[in-house]
Amino acid sequence: MKTLRTLVAFIKRDFLIEVSYRTSFLLQAFGIVFSVLIWYFVSRVVNAPPTTPGLEGVDYFAYVLLGLALLHYLSSALMSFGGKVRGEQMTGTLEAMLLTPTPIGTIVLGSSLWEFLLTSIKVIAYLVVGRLFFGVVIHLDSLLPALLIIALTVLAFSGIGILSAAFVLYLKRGDPITYLVASGSALVGGVFYPPEDMPRWLGGWSHLLPITYALRALRRALLRGSRFSELLPDIEVLVLFVAVLLPIGILAFRFAVRKARQEGSLVQY
Amino acid sequence: MSVAILAENLTKVYVKRRSLREVALRPFRRAEPVTALSGLSLETRTGEIFGLLGPNGAGKTTFLKILTGLVLPTSGRALVIGVDVAQDDRAVKRSIGFVTSDERSFYWRLSGRENLDFFARLYGLDAASARRVSADLLREMDMESVADRSFMSYSTGMKQRLAIARALLHDPPVLCLDEPTRSLDPIAAKHLRRFVVDRLNRQRGKTVLLATHNLPEAEEMCSRLVVLDRGRIVRQGSVAAITAGLPGRDHYVLSVRGLEAPPSDPRWRLEVERQDDGIARLAAEVERDGRAFSDLLRAILDSRGTIVSCARREPSLQEVFDLMEPDPGGRIG
Repeated sequence: MKTLRTLVAFIKRDFLIEVSYRTSFLLQAFGIVFSVLIWYFVSRVVNAPPTTPGLEGVDYFAYVLLGLALLHYLSSALMSFGGKVRGEQMTGTLEAMLLTPTPIGTIVLGSSLWEFLLTSIKVIAYLVVGRLFFGVVIHLDSLLPALLIIALTVLAFSGIGILSAAFVLYLKRGDPITYLVASGSALVGGVFYPPEDMPRWLGGWSHLLPITYALRALRRALLRGSRFSELLPDIEVLVLFVAVLLPIGILAFRFAVRKARQEGSLVQY
Repeated sequence: MSVAILAENLTKVYVKRRSLREVALRPFRRAEPVTALSGLSLETRTGEIFGLLGPNGAGKTTFLKILTGLVLPTSGRALVIGVDVAQDDRAVKRSIGFVTSDERSFYWRLSGRENLDFFARLYGLDAASARRVSADLLREMDMESVADRSFMSYSTGMKQRLAIARALLHDPPVLCLDEPTRSLDPIAAKHLRRFVVDRLNRQRGKTVLLATHNLPEAEEMCSRLVVLDRGRIVRQGSVAAITAGLPGRDHYVLSVRGLEAPPSDPRWRLEVERQDDGIARLAAEVERDGRAFSDLLRAILDSRGTIVSCARREPSLQEVFDLMEPDPGGRIG
């Protein structure tokens, strides 16, 4: 309960900072509309039939809309943990927070929450704009499984994000893993096109990335209204990713904190 | 009187991280260790203002960072209100308020009140208590009228007062001040010193650990202090006790009537200032050998001088620093 109250304080802090940049809020809303428009016109040029392998029987615009939405979650998870730690190190506020009894894990999690909240708002905006203005059919009866898939996806991505924060704490620089996962996911994870359409030697890498399973399951749930049993195989793989990546991230983070305290470099950047 | 802070044989050795170039050129060479604290032992009593005095790189900040859990000691232990920092740093953080002179440790786009509210929540206060405590502290710091202005619009003095307010949010018994007046003008610095001594220490009974390289500040505020140099304590006790045991020479100021020529001897050095009333003021620097001062007085009397007054001048802490050996380099703060 106390931790929850502290996390709410972080959200309030970041909300106040966000609204202090008045135009930024407005520009982000415009950005979503522009992004949807761009991909709408791209999809008209691409004009891929729903029978294309990997499109799961859905229209290409709907396919890419879901891809973009989940890519935002991936970016948030990968960038926000490490990015926030580095940002707070550089502004000098990390030391002030570490002087309080709040555990460092709560500080890192709390600092990232606003980013996730903002991303969730963006994702909802993407879907609402897609549905209202471009006729994308969203199966709201599959909302619960979709939320479960998103939660598992965020947790799996967060494992990598926390690993990235560990790198930042110890090495003071962004890590190569974040870059590889972010680029790899965009390239072969099925965000903009199905990995099945890629050469086997390249598309095969998609099996190693959580976003592949997350996107497939989410598209099936929200765009096709698939039954839970059809989603289960991908959900199981996501659970496996969470079970592996989250403990690795947390262990690496603990190790980094201890090493940084030993070296006296916790607040250096 | 109970012990507020206890350090026992505290040592901190940093290992300099090697650059990629160094690793490539000398892959098997071990990283160079740098000792920031070496067997430091000290004890501060509840309710006193205790000074950590030393030049830059003496180890003051490292010691404070160990006390606040930001740095782990290599060996030895540190206790705050009886709790070992290495065992339970969260409990220690509830007992310590830390004030730095770093203005960057606040959110510049938030107001002073919003900053305090946020940090109060990190100290475990609920929303209502956080608002109440923040408001009380802003009033105490005389910042009520500017509480809702953004932090970036504050003067340096206001920022420092807000830093003190933040350190008091959880009402800790111990306050660590790391060069709190470093960037303040003399008037603001004086006000801050008075606030710490009168309000925090005398009225509210806070134990204060003051790290400074400002000698007059330490002399004015601290009941006891340690002088650190290269991670070791080179002097400790009250200001008077520290300066009393200095090797070298003692300093006296004498007023002498009828002195024709100042007596000369290699064991003393005199600076003479003649005044209109026929009295000469002598600033004497005398070798501490047990006899030299008596011989000087005798020499003055023999030359028909009458000693009107004589006072010993305590050496300042600057002279304590001056007597320390110069550092060859490679210090860590």
